[in-house]
Amino acid sequence: MAEKTCPVRKTIIYLSEQIDSGCLTDPKGRRISEQILHLTEEISEGAAGPDHLSAIDSLIEEYFYSLSPLQNQETGNTLKGILDEHREVFISHIETRNCPSHDCATLAPSPCQMACPAGIDVPTYLSLIAEGRDAEAIEVIRRDNPLPWVCGLICTRPCEMMCVRARIDTPVSIKFLKAFAAERAMSDRAYKNPEKAAFNGKKICVVGAGPGGLSAAYYLALMGYGVRVIEALPVSGGMLMVGIPRYRLPREVIDREVAMIEELGVEFSYNTRFGKDVTFEGLKKDGVDAFFIAIGAHKSWDLGIKGEKEFPRVLDAVKFLKDVALGDHHAPGKHVVVIGGGNVAIDAARTSLRLGAEKVSIAYRRSRTQMPADIEEVEQAEEEGIEFSFLTIPKEIVGENNTITGLDCIKAELIKKKGSDRLAPVPILGKDFTMKIDAVIPAIGQYVDDEGMDAFDQMNWTRRGTIEVNHASMETTMPGVFAAGDAVSGPATVIEAIGGGKRAAEAIDRYLNNIPQPRMPKIPVRYKMEPPIEMSASRKMTLKRPEMPMLNVDRRRTMFQQAELGYDEESVRREAARCLRCDICRRCGKCVTICRSKMGIGALQLGYMDFDDPSETDFRATSEKCITCGACAANCENKAIVIEEKDGQRMLKLCGIVLNKQDIQYCEECNAILPSAEYLQFISQKTGNVTKVSENRLLCNNCQRKLSAKINVETRPVNPNK
Amino acid sequence: MSKYYLFQDIKKCIGCHACEIQCKSNKNLPKGPKPCQIIQVGPKFIGGLPKTSFIFMPCFHCENPWCVSACPTGAMQKRSKDGIVFIDNDLCVGCKTCVSACPWGAPQWNQEIGKVVKCDYCMDRIDEGLEPACVTTCTTGCLQFGNVEDTTQIRRERHASAVASLEKSSF
Repeated sequence: MAEKTCPVRKTIIYLSEQIDSGCLTDPKGRRISEQILHLTEEISEGAAGPDHLSAIDSLIEEYFYSLSPLQNQETGNTLKGILDEHREVFISHIETRNCPSHDCATLAPSPCQMACPAGIDVPTYLSLIAEGRDAEAIEVIRRDNPLPWVCGLICTRPCEMMCVRARIDTPVSIKFLKAFAAERAMSDRAYKNPEKAAFNGKKICVVGAGPGGLSAAYYLALMGYGVRVIEALPVSGGMLMVGIPRYRLPREVIDREVAMIEELGVEFSYNTRFGKDVTFEGLKKDGVDAFFIAIGAHKSWDLGIKGEKEFPRVLDAVKFLKDVALGDHHAPGKHVVVIGGGNVAIDAARTSLRLGAEKVSIAYRRSRTQMPADIEEVEQAEEEGIEFSFLTIPKEIVGENNTITGLDCIKAELIKKKGSDRLAPVPILGKDFTMKIDAVIPAIGQYVDDEGMDAFDQMNWTRRGTIEVNHASMETTMPGVFAAGDAVSGPATVIEAIGGGKRAAEAIDRYLNNIPQPRMPKIPVRYKMEPPIEMSASRKMTLKRPEMPMLNVDRRRTMFQQAELGYDEESVRREAARCLRCDICRRCGKCVTICRSKMGIGALQLGYMDFDDPSETDFRATSEKCITCGACAANCENKAIVIEEKDGQRMLKLCGIVLNKQDIQYCEECNAILPSAEYLQFISQKTGNVTKVSENRLLCNNCQRKLSAKINVETRPVNPNK
Repeated sequence: MSKYYLFQDIKKCIGCHACEIQCKSNKNLPKGPKPCQIIQVGPKFIGGLPKTSFIFMPCFHCENPWCVSACPTGAMQKRSKDGIVFIDNDLCVGCKTCVSACPWGAPQWNQEIGKVVKCDYCMDRIDEGLEPACVTTCTTGCLQFGNVEDTTQIRRERHASAVASLEKSSF
């Protein structure tokens, strides 16, 4: 539920208009209005504390003193109305220092943070990593995501999709920088858990030790709850461990981050299936106060074609990957075909190759550009020699004596169908062909395995077979039962599950403390504004996203060693410094407009600021025309672009990027700082036809006034009275 | 020049700065900018006695203002009906070129809003038939505002009476 205009900003506008219009004739009412305005402005600037709202409340009450004029009561009632309806937004502004509607300019969030389903404060941790403060960066990340190392290796990185730097060259490599910082902090033994609250006597049962369950367990444990995690598999991590292959995510990464959660006192029960090994009633008897369900989506959809159930070498992708992860390292066949176009299909294909399959192909019914899999994954699979057969619809698995001999397919064409944006594959009659294979791995999607969930009898399921929840609080329809992850969304991403787990932990805490649940989804929190790193415009422009070094292809075709080798330290620090700090600059473009249209100078070439129609950006171009007049800085609400005077130079800086540097001149009389020569030249061009009066002396504003007063006295005729 | 004249009777001024304060309070200005300012010159010895002059420095509303030519945005303007030089706040972007261009230091920098403020003879008050704020509060009555022709009249009359008093003393 996105707000049209931010109610905080609305309140400021309303009160300012009232005060300026002069209609508040009662002095007491006017005083109250001014004080409320001041407090609201602080909320809108992120400078408010937890007492601001109650202070506003009691000020509103003051409007209604006895014999208070009607105008006061009207103002009071209007404000009360706004606060009653939008109280959460006010609280959210104070707590998160984030205004998603961009109306409160200083609180406008960065796109990467808003894109992240867990809402990690990306610009803050990138700045920390750029400065080599890895442990602090991990501390910041873990406030919103307890698995930074895991996500640093396998996240689908919606943040990079939104990265503003991509409008200049390429997005910042946000994903991997996290992994580097986590690895370094872990190696330095500086990866630490935050202080946890004392045990509060309440117990929570988390069903499923995947990313959703781990995330909820971590935040609940920090809040002082006793957490027990029930896991059907013998290992933790869920799909991280049994879905994602080891060449993408080494087991140690999961183990070490899970160990951090164990260190908080979370109890893990492996090989324990909910509904069979433990029951709802039994856990209730043990004193469990709330349940969190994160059972994932572990069942593969069937292809629904002939032959699918007849041959043992038709292996569903989920089960295949799980068996391999748990140690069953046998090739599925000599010539393997994987059916599907998502990340799971790629994972199954690349895993088959590493297990020794001679030829592996992927059959997908649409074409390359429609593949939901990550482009990097697809490319890496191609490098390893996996073949793709696009526009291919499987028709029948054929064979004899329990052995597959081929897959009958039909060629498809993509046709635009009414009511759908996605092109639909339609078989072309007569274009049948057979793929010679001996193993088939269908990977066309997963659904939730609801076995053992009967005890949650009041919980509603959606038509898609997922658990129905309120997405702001992750509450199911059954009181005291919460759910998140793939079990709610259907097969989705790790980071969504982590975000859901975190939201659920907060909601469970509210539920057990009788605090009403939020009506709007929680907005990401901005922690501290790290000052931007100062660097020259040339450096900012010439920094390039490093190539990811890869393991050699022979080894990638034969072993489960990690395929992406990671950047070296120098590349990491440089890459982190490439961030444009969109948490400070909200790219309103005012500076560019003023410099070009108002000043007529056009020194700022910041095309990336225009979202819809980006033009060329070159930070270096500024110094060619800029006169350091500071009009851009004077109009920047966020103080993203600033004029700084240091070591005899006046600098124009945008989020730390030194756009221009000019020598400062000084007043000949009092040594006060004066504009640069370029600036004075700009003025003299404009006033060229007007004679100079200051006797060609370089004087400041004050001294000029003094000089003219003196001239005035000296040139005055002698008073006839004397 | 504007058709108005703000006349300061230097002989009467005691340097109380009430005009500065009234000006700032009327324009609701923070610490710093002074659209009008009393500048103390001296003391210096005249006829063996220390004498100090207090010079009232508002904007002179020049005929051909430097600030107006310098302003790149057209915020600084000269009002055609009476020649008052004023700044349109909505157009000002805070480049301060007018501040540097003015030989008399009349345009002032308002840090709080990041824009320039200057003496406009309180044109909103003038349009309502009132006097500029500084004039209304002058403790000694040394500031007088009016049309240029009226103020020359004051000077003439004063000079005449001075001459007259000299004549008297000669008796």
